[in-house]
Amino acid sequence: MSDQNQSEAPDAPIKAPGIVGSIASLLGSLKFSLGVVVIIALACIAGTVIPQGEQVSRYLMKNPGPHKGLELMTSLGLTHVFSSWWFAVLLCVLAASLLVCTGRRFQAIRRSSGAMRVRVGGSFVTHVSLLLVLAGGVVRVLWGEKGILELSEGQETTSCAGADGIMPIPFTVRLVKFELELYKSPGQAAGAEGDVLFVQWPEKGLAVKLPVELMKANVVVPPREQMAPDNAFRVTVERYVPDFFMDSATGEAKSRSDQPNNPALYVSVTGGGITNAQWVFARFPDFSKHSGPKGGAAMPLQFQFLSGSANQAAMGRSSGPVKAFRSTVELLENGQVVLKKTIAVNSPLAHRGYTFYQVSYNPEDLTWTALQVVRDPGVPIVYAGFLLMMVGLTVVFCVGPYLDDKRKKAREAV
Amino acid sequence: MISLFNAGLAAYVGALVFAVVYLMSSRRFFDMAANTLMAAGALIQTVYIGMRWVEAGRAPFSNMFESLVLFAWSVAVIYLILRIQRNIPWLGAAASVFSALALAHASTFEADIKPLMPALQSNWLSFHVLTCFLGYGGFAVAFLLGIGFLVADRSASKVKPETREALETVMTRTISFGFLFLTLGILTGAVWANSAWGTYWSWDPKETWSLITWFIYAIFLHCRFMRGWRGQASALISIIGFASVLFTYYGVNFLLSGLHSYAQ
Repeated sequence: MSDQNQSEAPDAPIKAPGIVGSIASLLGSLKFSLGVVVIIALACIAGTVIPQGEQVSRYLMKNPGPHKGLELMTSLGLTHVFSSWWFAVLLCVLAASLLVCTGRRFQAIRRSSGAMRVRVGGSFVTHVSLLLVLAGGVVRVLWGEKGILELSEGQETTSCAGADGIMPIPFTVRLVKFELELYKSPGQAAGAEGDVLFVQWPEKGLAVKLPVELMKANVVVPPREQMAPDNAFRVTVERYVPDFFMDSATGEAKSRSDQPNNPALYVSVTGGGITNAQWVFARFPDFSKHSGPKGGAAMPLQFQFLSGSANQAAMGRSSGPVKAFRSTVELLENGQVVLKKTIAVNSPLAHRGYTFYQVSYNPEDLTWTALQVVRDPGVPIVYAGFLLMMVGLTVVFCVGPYLDDKRKKAREAV
Repeated sequence: MISLFNAGLAAYVGALVFAVVYLMSSRRFFDMAANTLMAAGALIQTVYIGMRWVEAGRAPFSNMFESLVLFAWSVAVIYLILRIQRNIPWLGAAASVFSALALAHASTFEADIKPLMPALQSNWLSFHVLTCFLGYGGFAVAFLLGIGFLVADRSASKVKPETREALETVMTRTISFGFLFLTLGILTGAVWANSAWGTYWSWDPKETWSLITWFIYAIFLHCRFMRGWRGQASALISIIGFASVLFTYYGVNFLLSGLHSYAQ
């Protein structure tokens, strides 16, 4: 990338006669174009520093009464800048100016040569790309649709709530399943925050709650008793499995998923002349899977796994940061499932011009989901504009200067 | 990890000290030492960012701490690339001050690796943020050059015309670089937004301010290339443009709410 020390080839004068020529001349002048850009930039600043749309409604709900300044700004469209008629007019004027400039760039290509021609060509492509992006936006406004689809598991529908009423969808959408996934709390590799191992020795009145921490030895002794070899037990949580299952092939305990669907702890106990290790299940407190005890004596301690994460998941409440939320949906046409996919944030589902985005869920009801439905035929045009813009700018800032340098070096060599 | 962060900061501070001594003594040894330390700082930061990337399992570009680290890195790298092509004696000192201040400021934010919210869990995160910050880095260097140009212009009798021209040339070059990457950053952000939220543009304050910044530099480039603007005017636009960059990056996060509010 190098600097261009000379200005680009001047644009051709506009030769159209009369008022058309005057308007075209005005639209194609750099001063006018940049003036429009400056006005749009100022409008953009206003649109970010002045409360817009819903912010104004919220403010008025909190502070009822007359607000003359706000009323004036609303009447001028300053509280809904980006959807105001005058902002649309500004964008149209910019588009018209771009169109004339693009035409002049095209003429300039023919009048230039060498590296300059390449650079002017890049500039032309860049201006065309901007027109494409604006055209894509117009297509979205004129022919695009957007709505919100709310479904519970098992429900199906052929429409959703659009901006102007019911928005029909030309196929059936059925929610098969909704899933919420939470992050494990930091530093709690053994389980989620609130996971506790409840240790009891009913005969001796021992009842202690040990926070679940892997490989940490906890010595438990009945209350009001001195520590002795027959009444002190070393309790260690050796393993945590969030979704326990026993692999029948290998006989090993494994986890089906990261979700706390069947949380279990592997607890080892030594003391009182015995060595014991057992699985303790949060969901099945009466069931335990022993590998011991060894040493002849009966195991006096009883364990209960009080899993915070399992309880939260069971109650459908999120306490930790949300890792993901996703909806598995089926699309049906003529009663037949034509597509089944899991939709997540950043992973939408597209079918017949309609795209479904995961936007919301209800933490109190994890069978419910909200999807945004978008039909935007302008997207391919906008993306084509994006691609052309990068091509054009690369030519202007990289290829053109490279050719300039090459020519300069060749001249120096001569 | 923290020791690597501190080592990067120390390298930039060391580069600053040597660069200042070079400016006072004009001895080449100090210039070499300053640039070596600057390169060491950039290298240490590269390793730091890489290690953090591996540890987090995703691009470490998701909050103020991580983005400031990236900002410091991009300014250092862009300065070093420029230095290979041209020697502007005071630019090393200015770039090292910038990178050191960015890192020092980063240290005031929480450095813990935090889990990502669902919207940020995308491969677009690394493309979008990296391209934006390469753009910001280019604009930061252009801003330093703009300031340097105005200072040099005030003492016009001492500055040779070729020095003025060199400053203008490098300033335009860094702005062109920044503009290319800012454009790429905005476009990747738009594609990502369309994939995450179903709309490529929603006039969110961050988006809108990035467009304002883009407009300012587009005006600069048109004035420079179409009308041959030189001198103080182009230096001033470079400074105004960077003020807009800072507001886009920093001001929007703290003063305006929107889709990018997680960036605090």
